[in-house]
Amino acid sequence: MKKLSYFLAALVGLSMQYAMAQTPKGSVLIKNATVLTVTNGTHENTDVLVQDGIVKKIGQDIKAPNGVETIDATGKYLMPGIIDAHSHIALDVVNEATAPIVAEVRMKDVVNPYEIGIYRALAGGVTMSHAMHGSANVVGGQNATLKHRWGSTDPADIIMQDAPRTIKFALGENPTRVHGRGRGIQPRTRMGVEAILRNGFNEALQYKKAWADFNAASSQKGNTAVAPEYNERLQTLADILDGKIIIHCHSYRADEIYMLINVAKDFGIKKLVFQHTNEGFKVAPEIAEYTMGASVFADWWAYKFEVYYSTAFNAAILQKNGVITSINSDDAELIRHLYHEAAKTQRYGGMTDDEALAMITINPAKQLGVSDKVGSIEEGKQADMVIFEGHPLSSYAIPQMTFVDGVKYFDINSDEDDQRQLVSATEMVEPIYLHEETAHKCMQDTEYLFETAEALFSLNQY
Amino acid sequence: MDSEEAFISLLDHNKPSNPMRKTLLKASVLCLMLSGFISRASLFAQSDPTGKKPITSTYAITNATVFAKPGSEGSKATILIKDGVIKGVGSNLSLPVEAKVIAGDSLFIYPGFIDGASQAGITKPEDPKRPDNFDSSKPSDEIAGITPWRSAVDQFSIDGSQVDAMRQAGFTLIQIVPEGGMIAGKSALVILGDDKSTNVIKENTSLSSNLNGARGMYPGTTVGVMAKFRDVYKNTELTKNRTATFASNTGVVRPEITPTYQAMMDVISGQVPVLFEVGNDLEVRRALSLKNELGFQLILTGLEEYENVIDLLKSSGTKVLIQLAVPDDKAIKAKEGEDESEEVKALKARVKASYDKAIAQAGKLEAAGVPFAFTTIGAKPNDLMKSLKTMIEAGLSEEAALAALTTNAADILGVSKFAGSIESGKMANLVLATGPIFEEDSQIKHVVVDGKIFEYETKAKKKKEGAEGSGGAIAGTWDYTSETPAGSSGGKITIAKDGSSYSGTITYDDPAGSGAATSDLEDISYEGSSLTFSFGVSAGGMNLKVDVSAEVSGNTMDGSMIIGEFGSFPISGTLNPTLIANK
Repeated sequence: MKKLSYFLAALVGLSMQYAMAQTPKGSVLIKNATVLTVTNGTHENTDVLVQDGIVKKIGQDIKAPNGVETIDATGKYLMPGIIDAHSHIALDVVNEATAPIVAEVRMKDVVNPYEIGIYRALAGGVTMSHAMHGSANVVGGQNATLKHRWGSTDPADIIMQDAPRTIKFALGENPTRVHGRGRGIQPRTRMGVEAILRNGFNEALQYKKAWADFNAASSQKGNTAVAPEYNERLQTLADILDGKIIIHCHSYRADEIYMLINVAKDFGIKKLVFQHTNEGFKVAPEIAEYTMGASVFADWWAYKFEVYYSTAFNAAILQKNGVITSINSDDAELIRHLYHEAAKTQRYGGMTDDEALAMITINPAKQLGVSDKVGSIEEGKQADMVIFEGHPLSSYAIPQMTFVDGVKYFDINSDEDDQRQLVSATEMVEPIYLHEETAHKCMQDTEYLFETAEALFSLNQY
Repeated sequence: MDSEEAFISLLDHNKPSNPMRKTLLKASVLCLMLSGFISRASLFAQSDPTGKKPITSTYAITNATVFAKPGSEGSKATILIKDGVIKGVGSNLSLPVEAKVIAGDSLFIYPGFIDGASQAGITKPEDPKRPDNFDSSKPSDEIAGITPWRSAVDQFSIDGSQVDAMRQAGFTLIQIVPEGGMIAGKSALVILGDDKSTNVIKENTSLSSNLNGARGMYPGTTVGVMAKFRDVYKNTELTKNRTATFASNTGVVRPEITPTYQAMMDVISGQVPVLFEVGNDLEVRRALSLKNELGFQLILTGLEEYENVIDLLKSSGTKVLIQLAVPDDKAIKAKEGEDESEEVKALKARVKASYDKAIAQAGKLEAAGVPFAFTTIGAKPNDLMKSLKTMIEAGLSEEAALAALTTNAADILGVSKFAGSIESGKMANLVLATGPIFEEDSQIKHVVVDGKIFEYETKAKKKKEGAEGSGGAIAGTWDYTSETPAGSSGGKITIAKDGSSYSGTITYDDPAGSGAATSDLEDISYEGSSLTFSFGVSAGGMNLKVDVSAEVSGNTMDGSMIIGEFGSFPISGTLNPTLIANK
């Protein structure tokens, strides 16, 4: 009897979980494409069968099962869905800029599935993005890994629920400007940034111990132990120390990159990815040895002092040194043509097609901890794919159709002008801020902090 | 003069003071005298030298059309009220001798309206002073807007002009919520009754919360507010456990008692619900996710865009207060430009569709079977009935509209025992209208709160357009004064007649600093003796719309102006003599 009810409970539990995690899953047969698997070579005149959101079969002359739509991709290219490891689209808030460490805040709380940027990204073949907290804090908030299931109204439906937790860190000018210059508190210098990190992790160790002691004591009979204060900020740092969260750290200069590697080593942290990493080429072997890689711009720099020493060969140098390297957008416009950005590594550094494509597919998937599920076209993986007219690394490439979990969310043949999900009931013309739309948004919501600093330095807030 | 008007004139001691009404009062006294009805003083108790004490607290409103609760047909009945309680409703009541009989033959009577969440009469407390060593990354709870110990009762005044505007709109019982930050404080139930009473029915009815960050400090944004809410909630739970351990043992570390944790105790125990202010569907989901994570009782308030979560509201059984307002229809009513392209037309059609969807939401909520009530926060007091009528035209049933104003609100606030319907034993909260309440020309004539009768001026039906005002010519320069919470202010209103229409300007103290600012008058209408116009004021980055309506009599005007959502304030003016003769 007991066993039976246990079994029933498990069953009910399972079905509830299933109900919660139900996002659209599609079935489709794509015929006769040039399939760029990225991890397993390029196959011409090849069919890919997707069933219930999963790649079931890659091969020749596959017959469509009953009821499965067939798409003729003769003369076209099929590649894995592009993954942007650094983005701020589909977020209602980017920066909780008010304290040097805000590890407790969760970007999953403020995901906005209506944002048009999702559709525009799909139109550029991007099926996943890493919706990051901004770079105003040494330790920013926890990020959300998104799947671009356009048309969803529930934020939970565009969050990749089986992706591991990630968190934003930031070094250098942004946190020192916001907190040091803007508020007169630590950190005011790069040394202060390191101190914030080390103090934070040491406090987290104490916090973890206090709770471990309490839990041990409270299991004793007749104990009078009282619980320590609850602190999700320190709990999150403790989770980083326990390897439960991947750090994605905004960084530019070689010295600060090397500093964080040393801090990570001292605290036994293994899961670390560097973002931007413009001087990464100077410390490429160190990054390769100790981290999960670097996510960089192809050729974007000189927007503030710490980003002057840069080169378009950065990605290639990192890659040749064995660093897992990805190319990201950090921007709602650039995200639409990441395939061009990847192609730049061929012009500057002679990457092969697979190496260049890996930088926008399997490599960002590795950095987000989801490479077992997405990032390449392989049997058993989630069917996030893009059909291109022209090779995606050609400057004439045009994405035709974009699929997430086998469901088509973008089709150039039914690409109506007005794709907004929400339209204002009170404004005939909704204001669009061109500058904001094109500038990347790491420092969004922090403008008010710089009224004085702006006047003095007239700095860009990237 | 018919008996109803006579009755009301006798009760004018209950009227809130208002310059316009004083003027009208004079007129009505004159009217009484002319009709030979001069013995009013004899109706007041001789023991009261002020003459303000009513001789009886027993009233019988006879032969009115009574709608006892939503869905019930209006039937002719007499309502007997004694000491603020309904003693009987029916056609064969035996009326006690002390009952003041009021002929209600032409009146339509409804249960007094209930506002689920209101800030009428609420004054924002002063911001606490920041210490010299203020650190914006860890401000004190009070500075960061975490003030669960504050009570709306301390911020409430029955004398506010917003209170009168609400009462005039038919509201008798409201849940007042405090002004403040992310955890603003405790709400309370009050009646909009006599200014000699506290009018408090129940304190600590809910904990008012929202997702708004504190400006320039932690938590500054929604994402920070959600994290901080979890922190406060969980630490209150831990503090409760620590306190219990400390109380029953020796050698236990002293628990840190803070006003925040103390005030949150009855929220974590489930006795007091959290009244979460949310605007759109994404915020609804955010509040629900906090509730699911932490396990508190929840009432959602302030919903404006919720079509996409109607199913979720239904399945989660959440109590809902939707905003009693509809979107501004200016954009959809704008004139078509010349030679509009198909693309522009298509874009405009989407705005129209979006507007139509917005006003149809309440009807969809009803169809889904979610029992909702209203909040007036964020709505203009004078637009409440208009908004409701718009919702009804877009599909909300009149029954559900009345239920949202009465029985549903009573259920959500837990006051069904004594409010929400017209039944023997319930509180005497009534709305007396000149016709069926949702009909275009119906006006609220009297509002009964706790057995006290308040009278409101009903306007005659509008005359034909273009009819010259009977109050006298208005063209010229007026000096006006107005009373606002910021103090007395004034300026000049210049009106020019241009054919059959008017144009003009108004000067006022510049909200941006010293000196005077000028705005153009818009929508000037002068019919009968009623002058209405509006103008825009830009203050602190906001554009406020001010609506003025006044009665003109010779060279004076008296009336009120409604400033955005801030309420209604008295205004009066005099026309300067001009060299040009007024025709």
